[in-house]
Amino acid sequence: MIEHDFDEEFVPIAAELQRLPYMSPSRDFADRVISRIDRLQAAKGVAPVLASRHLELHQGGQQAVVPRRPMTVMKATGKAVVGVGLIVAAAFMFFEVDILTAILSAATTQYAFAVAAIGAQVGAVVLGPATIGYLQAGAVEAALLYMTLVVGLVGGYSAIRTAAHIAKRKAA
Amino acid sequence: MPQRSYTDVSDQQVVVFAQEGREDAYRELIKRYERPVFSLIFRMVRDKETAEDLAQETFIKVLNNIDRYRPEFKFSSWLFKIANNITIDHLRRRQVDTISIEGSPDAVTAERARATAVTVTSGGESPLEELESRELGASIEKAIAKLRPEYRACIILRHVEDYSYDEIAEIVKLPLGTVKTYIHRARQELRQYLGDLR
Repeated sequence: MIEHDFDEEFVPIAAELQRLPYMSPSRDFADRVISRIDRLQAAKGVAPVLASRHLELHQGGQQAVVPRRPMTVMKATGKAVVGVGLIVAAAFMFFEVDILTAILSAATTQYAFAVAAIGAQVGAVVLGPATIGYLQAGAVEAALLYMTLVVGLVGGYSAIRTAAHIAKRKAA
Repeated sequence: MPQRSYTDVSDQQVVVFAQEGREDAYRELIKRYERPVFSLIFRMVRDKETAEDLAQETFIKVLNNIDRYRPEFKFSSWLFKIANNITIDHLRRRQVDTISIEGSPDAVTAERARATAVTVTSGGESPLEELESRELGASIEKAIAKLRPEYRACIILRHVEDYSYDEIAEIVKLPLGTVKTYIHRARQELRQYLGDLR
């Protein structure tokens, strides 16, 4: 009880103020508060939205990526064959490749096929399935990597073609 | 983690358990103070939903920062301080300085106004005493609603929660002299309003 520091006129009002009842919030008030306490939610393994963003940055974005099944050897081989085949077909159609170039290209194709197949498997082992999954999830980084691989392949092919031309001239 | 009883445990000790990450300690702190905090906020904003949102915000802020609690202060003072800050900020944002005695200023329909109007309950008295008490209680609620928010907080903390002037000054972050002045003026205004009603 507080000491009186007011005049007598206020005494009944002070008494009534002390008798004012407490009001209650709704029944699920405590549950709603508890569901927003970061420490408790983290302990339950349910990371709140803000915390998950933080976690995502720490874990290199892997939390945000839906895990994908690792690519099988057969699938990787098939994709490599189709890719190289398309490049060869484009070379015949648009760049008027002659027979010698075609033969060299065929050899290159076989070589590129082997490199692509081995490279895909080595990449999966070195980078790990989670990272490969992340790259395959359509991220910008993955697109850039694929573009780099294509440019490298085309560049390599051009270099071999140039070498073939030089060899042909010397032979002539 | 097994549930424990906090019946004879002080606020400071419950806080220590909460700092260790015990959910039952968090729930105990909410259980102890949800009604006083909600009542203080409700008497300041006069809208149940808003009061509940602000009370929830208060507890979330306090409990998420439980590690920053300094045991030399009363836990309830810290809690009321946060509640007062959040409520005053809300009132400033909404520019609600004077609250209608008939219901929330946010009420857009008569039904909503009735739902947000102050109702007072009491118990343990004869029907006549209860009626008189309810009438006086309702009159005081209405009179409190007419006060400025700063006066409201101070008078409630002084006469409902029994805090000293020093503690109130700490809670509302105002100089001691200002708090005394606010409470003196609030008493005068309450007397005047209640005198008019009688």
